[in-house]
Amino acid sequence: MKAHKLARLALLTALALIIFIIELRIDIIPIPGAKLGLANIITVYAVYKYSAKETAMIVFARVLLGSIFGGNVSAIMYSMAGAVFCLTGMLLVKRIVPLKYIWLSSIIGAILHNTGQMIVAVIVMRSFAVLSIYPFLLITGCIAGAFTGLCAQFLINRNLDVKDNKNET
Amino acid sequence: MTKGVKLLIGAVIVIFAAAVVFAIIGSKPSDSTWVDIVQNNKIIYHLDLSEEKDRTFKIDYPDGGWNEVQIKDGHISIIDADCPDHTCIKTGELRSENIPIVCLPHKLVIRFSDEGAGE
Repeated sequence: MKAHKLARLALLTALALIIFIIELRIDIIPIPGAKLGLANIITVYAVYKYSAKETAMIVFARVLLGSIFGGNVSAIMYSMAGAVFCLTGMLLVKRIVPLKYIWLSSIIGAILHNTGQMIVAVIVMRSFAVLSIYPFLLITGCIAGAFTGLCAQFLINRNLDVKDNKNET
Repeated sequence: MTKGVKLLIGAVIVIFAAAVVFAIIGSKPSDSTWVDIVQNNKIIYHLDLSEEKDRTFKIDYPDGGWNEVQIKDGHISIIDADCPDHTCIKTGELRSENIPIVCLPHKLVIRFSDEGAGE
């Protein structure tokens, strides 16, 4: 991997981490597990601009470091399951959905993220009681997903990475 | 707009609508006064809120950690906990049949139950 690319990926990870940590302080939604997911702006952006492997590296580094910095290591299972679902889904959806409709893949990513969290919650708690918050998670997830998707759309429209496209691996 | 995109937009709309419907059904207040406090999928308390006196008590989690539960005027809530996210505190009082108070780090759920069940 070229140093140039590595530096870019590291920069994106750092950005995602900063957004993630700032976001921890903004908790307005009183639903367990619900978040704006602003850090996923970077994920959505990376899914479309970098390869699957590179995006996965960014996301896993962010989830891992984020839960350490956020002081909530016990929640890492939920974040990780959400991230894996979200990432797989978005990488698949990317084949169908063109760059123009990036907000759509972001919403689908959000739905899958919530689904992943819910599956882990059911497994960990060995109870279906937690499923009752799933609809609320989905609603907030769809809205937040649309928002992060639009943010990523604006980012991509700025075409910040003209140089990167040239030496795409 | 390709066919795939249209299909996906449709799917998202359906999921969203279903979520809204279930959320509305789920948020109706419960008329039961019995609550279960469940930890690790075991019922550790079964209380009748209409009979309970105002009090607070601590629930310890075996692997470390605790939640402080408050019963006041027939309502139950978690008022303090040593978990990092404090989601259970922000949930506030238990109101709805289908939205339990959940503390994921301590595997604790407080929810309404059927009258007398589990006695």
